[in-house]
Amino acid sequence: MTGRYASRLELQNLQLARANRTVLEHVTGSFRDGAITALVGANGAGKSTLVQGIMGMLRPVAGKVVCSVPKERRAWLPQQLALDLTFPMSVEELVMTGSWPSHGSFTGYCARHYRHGRDVMARLGISQLAHRPLGELSGGQRQRALIARTLMQEAELLLLDEPFANVDSETVDVLMRVLRDMAIKGATIIVVLHDMEQLAQLADEVVVLRQGHAHWTTPQTILHSQPEVANNARLALGLPGVGA
Amino acid sequence: MIELLHEWLIAPFDYGFMRRAAVASLALSLAAPPIGVFLMLRGMSLIGDAMAHAILPGVALGFLLAGFSLPAMSLGGVLSGLLVAMLAGSVSQMTGHREDSAMASFFLISLAAGVMLVSLGGSSVDLTHVLFGSILAVNTTALLLIAAISSVIVITLALIFRALVVECLDPLFLRGQGMHAGLVHGVFLGLVVLNLTAGFQTLGTLMAVGLMMLPATTARFWSKRLEGLIGIAIVLAILASAGGLLLSYHLSIPSGPAIILLAGVGYMLSALFGRHHSLLVRLGRKAAPLGAPEPH
Repeated sequence: MTGRYASRLELQNLQLARANRTVLEHVTGSFRDGAITALVGANGAGKSTLVQGIMGMLRPVAGKVVCSVPKERRAWLPQQLALDLTFPMSVEELVMTGSWPSHGSFTGYCARHYRHGRDVMARLGISQLAHRPLGELSGGQRQRALIARTLMQEAELLLLDEPFANVDSETVDVLMRVLRDMAIKGATIIVVLHDMEQLAQLADEVVVLRQGHAHWTTPQTILHSQPEVANNARLALGLPGVGA
Repeated sequence: MIELLHEWLIAPFDYGFMRRAAVASLALSLAAPPIGVFLMLRGMSLIGDAMAHAILPGVALGFLLAGFSLPAMSLGGVLSGLLVAMLAGSVSQMTGHREDSAMASFFLISLAAGVMLVSLGGSSVDLTHVLFGSILAVNTTALLLIAAISSVIVITLALIFRALVVECLDPLFLRGQGMHAGLVHGVFLGLVVLNLTAGFQTLGTLMAVGLMMLPATTARFWSKRLEGLIGIAIVLAILASAGGLLLSYHLSIPSGPAIILLAGVGYMLSALFGRHHSLLVRLGRKAAPLGAPEPH
């Protein structure tokens, strides 16, 4: 799959395991810059495992992840948040933390950073929540704030683990638009998805995880043509097969 | 009237020992409460207590080897505190048990070992001194040591502040950035130990935690913001220290307990009448109408 397009994230014969049980093996492929890749598969197929492997949270048993995006430009939105919602912090402050990795720990913010922060919040429609404590946000508002943090981070590699779960439809629309904008600017985006409709709307490419292996394909394949592949993909998603 | 106020509030500080005590407790009041605030926010309020027991064997060993020398006792305290923190951390990592159970086991062992060591080499007066401190006996060496440790704590806290905030708020974000969350955690625990060592001379090993935790937990009733919590906690600690010293002078009661009890009175009053989550707020709670200005 490599060589046909620009890619800053490549998996080479990757094998990942959890508690001594191999979850994925022989995963080889690359993720196109400026594209949104949907990661699909049934529960337990290894979607979160692969995401964690790419982020370097899980050491590969074999093979490797080659990523030329600098660490401070990689963002990860896990499915189970480790976010402490009782922490006394406002939405604006959370969004501003996105600039820490590149900004450094010691220098202060100037007006430019705050302006950037306000722009980012406006793009996600959370300007009116700027001073609201994190603990008082709804699920959708929280997700918008977290995406705002990745925008603040100017992330070039973004991994999202089911970002639209428990989120209202208006927020889904806003988030999809923002993700598309980021992709147009060249970011590599990987999204774990369950919903076929969302996949049709958002994905440029699809990686199907099934029985420990990863298959690169396109949304069209899954949604329309080649019933065999489509069936496999749909079965992998836990959906009824086409014409079965 | 003014004379009476002078006699009550200012005159006691004509004595050198009162001045030194005031400066020592001021230094502690600047360094301890911010640490307490972070411990509280991380749900580790009781870890401070555990660490206070952990420094005891080292203090006792320093006392046995070098007599009543503050530097030796402090060094011993820091070393045994760090040792216990590392042991508890590695036992919990190795066994998969929660860190608090390992910590609880080690601090009980430490307490017993410390009391045993002190009683081997000293009298019960020494034991009381190590356990409960004596702020009115702070000499210049002790004062310098306390001031130096407090400065180190404040500066280090300023340096790791952002990383510490992110680590409390969202440890996965910090790990995603390739920063070692364990390192930040370790440095922070080191500061806790250092702070307790600075405090044991004046308040005693057991009560040094009081000046760390009580102002922090009290501040929670008055502010919902991190800067607010830290600022209020520091002010409360300073007030409790000054008030406690004066009470101790006028009523001839031990200074450490006086300071901590005063902070305790502040905590209970705040729980009743504070701005947030207090009993008073709970009783008079009404929902703000839509469009009302946001409370801060």
